[in-house]
Amino acid sequence: MRIGRKLPPPTPHYPLPKIAIAALAAIAAIALLAISGIAFGHSPRELLSILISGSVGSNFALQGTLLKSIPLLLTGLSVAIAFRAGVWNIGGEGQFLAGALGAFLAARYGMIAAIVASLIAGAIWASIASAMRLWRNAPEVLTTILLNFIAIHLLGYAVNGPLQEASGKYPQSDAIPITAMLPTLGASELHAGIILAIVAAIGAWFLLYRTSEGLRLRASGFNRSAAKWAGINVDAQLVRAMAISGAMAGLAGGIELLGVTHRLFERFAAGYGYAGIAVALLAQLHPLGTLASAFFFGALTTGAGELQRTAGISSTVATFGQAIVILVMIVFTRRNAGPERL
Amino acid sequence: MRLSHITKSFAANRAVDDVTLDFKPGEIVGLVGENGAGKTTLMSIAAGELAPDEGTIEDRESVGIVHQHFLLVNEFTIAENLALSMWGRDPAEVIRDSGIDLRGFHRRVADLSVGEKSKLELIKAIAGRPRFLILDEPTSVLAPAEARELFDVMRRLAADGVTVVFISHKIPEVLEVATRIVVMRRGRIIVDGGAMSAEQLAEAMVEKRSRETSRRAGGGPAGGPPALQLPPLEVHRGEIVSIIGVAGNGQSELAANLRDTLRGHVAHIPEDRARDGLIAEMTIAENIALAEPRWNPRAATRRVAELIERFDIRAQSPLQRAGSLSGGNQQKVILARELERQPEIIVAAEPTRGLDIEATRFVHDELRAAAARGAAILLITSDLDEAFTLGDAIHVIYRGTLSARLTPGEAAEQAPVLMAGVGSGEWGVGARQ
Repeated sequence: MRIGRKLPPPTPHYPLPKIAIAALAAIAAIALLAISGIAFGHSPRELLSILISGSVGSNFALQGTLLKSIPLLLTGLSVAIAFRAGVWNIGGEGQFLAGALGAFLAARYGMIAAIVASLIAGAIWASIASAMRLWRNAPEVLTTILLNFIAIHLLGYAVNGPLQEASGKYPQSDAIPITAMLPTLGASELHAGIILAIVAAIGAWFLLYRTSEGLRLRASGFNRSAAKWAGINVDAQLVRAMAISGAMAGLAGGIELLGVTHRLFERFAAGYGYAGIAVALLAQLHPLGTLASAFFFGALTTGAGELQRTAGISSTVATFGQAIVILVMIVFTRRNAGPERL
Repeated sequence: MRLSHITKSFAANRAVDDVTLDFKPGEIVGLVGENGAGKTTLMSIAAGELAPDEGTIEDRESVGIVHQHFLLVNEFTIAENLALSMWGRDPAEVIRDSGIDLRGFHRRVADLSVGEKSKLELIKAIAGRPRFLILDEPTSVLAPAEARELFDVMRRLAADGVTVVFISHKIPEVLEVATRIVVMRRGRIIVDGGAMSAEQLAEAMVEKRSRETSRRAGGGPAGGPPALQLPPLEVHRGEIVSIIGVAGNGQSELAANLRDTLRGHVAHIPEDRARDGLIAEMTIAENIALAEPRWNPRAATRRVAELIERFDIRAQSPLQRAGSLSGGNQQKVILARELERQPEIIVAAEPTRGLDIEATRFVHDELRAAAARGAAILLITSDLDEAFTLGDAIHVIYRGTLSARLTPGEAAEQAPVLMAGVGSGEWGVGARQ
């Protein structure tokens, strides 16, 4: 995809059009979702109101939305950092699971240990892909996806085998010790993971836009060759970006385990890794944009759950919304803000 | 076929300047000149691939052209590649008709040698039975025996009345095969004639330079061990050493090699500005900060504002996107970035390519100032004026090999011959290293 890169159009980048594109994508997703309800015999208007009330219409709904936003924010950051560095990390799902597995194994040493373990496990899982890239030039877009499948089956094996609950009844693990669980905030269902996620977003922004490491990371992502001539070790950037990206996805998995599910089971990842791609693209790969974008998708997911309960429409329509957002963003975004080699 | 008063410009650069040429059937025309002399542009116009700005082409015949770079689908077989340009014809028959020896048409192009690929290109070109055949640097990748085979094909086609134009900068080959020699320089025809000696041809190709062009560049070489050493190349502190040669003789590889191997306080000015110079999507300030160990956005912006002033970069602000600057100003940003940190060694490849006179002078002054400050400068350039005005010493690069160190006086005399590879003991047709 090198076409059109030689002479970028001489337009200065105003933030407005970028935000406009993101808004367009979000509106298009909601509109199409509402219109598609006609097929199920509901008026778009009715669907829209269910979607809104089910996601932000009540205190309870809002808590649900925020809970869903936490892993989305972290997997979105994971994708944004990798894409900024020019690395196609599609392996959020696998890194999410690796993080959860790491957190589970370290849970008996307490909450902090479990969180650190999730970061490290995610980073290691992602680094397998960078090792293959450096060793045999294997494209990470393929290796990370394949690592997802391996992680999914590894987890499946674990919860049916060595990590299965003591009663041996269901394919799931025992609950983690209470000492490892994330505390809830006040009387709400919301757990402390939201603070970690927001800190991570601000930290990622600081890293990318306020440090020399971030500068070199972005430079390698925009133009590998020029970065090399400017004296940047581009391979080191790839390894670093991949590790940080993996750590973010791993943290998402760890927090989901420590804050929400408290145990591992087969379908633990539930698509959070892939949804991170939609979150990052809607955020225009900006860490702070990810805050808004993760909230949007969190609302979409909880709203879709309400649709299922009251209108009988499968909650998988949330995935449909994600796909529309990704398509709109890809079609309308100038192709110089992300990885270019594929 | 007749080209009359053809002129073609690319931006400010006049590639072909009022050229008139008559071609007769059965001629083998050797079209020679340095890189950038306008040979390929002129022939693209003759082939109808480019429209001239001015001038006309009379009696255009069917033209076949073999480009310098292969236009083949690597994953396809020989037969499939032939089918792309002549669907429905039997590939075995096409190859037989061409009189070129290429066997096994079910082999994939990716598995062919470069010699075989160039044969396949030639077969494609002559399968359409052109009356006018253009071969653009066809021998650059051929082994000597393959080149001879190609010359036989050219002679046979000429005997059938085809006009063959053979673009090359290899003097021995041109002398061997051409029945007429046309020399181009800076878009114009300098010589159009028959028999010439190798020395005459070399001198016509490369502009004559007086022995007096050399001048002390900066501080002049200092004593002590060389700052940069890559035998036979030695660059001392305070010295500018120029490397000249026809493009494609290893200059890019040399620069890339130095980029990957030189350690310490080294500045690099890359040859391909559009690709390697700046990160177009990032701001001027960010681009300049790439070379710094620590980055503080606010301090960097302030400092870059000063650099913009000092290097006379035409920009509205340090926060302007680097990609929105003109070529000359982009080059100044690169210079600001690379020279600002007072490097001990500077490797500058084509630092003034495409720049206007004012920007060129600015770049030259900066390089001289850096030398005066004690930097060791290696200047790799295809601009001979630049090489001679700045260089304290000169090496000629030919087929990846550097000549001995020459004084500018010696170089003025020997450069044309060395650059064309005459007298190097080889006929300039060996496989490229």
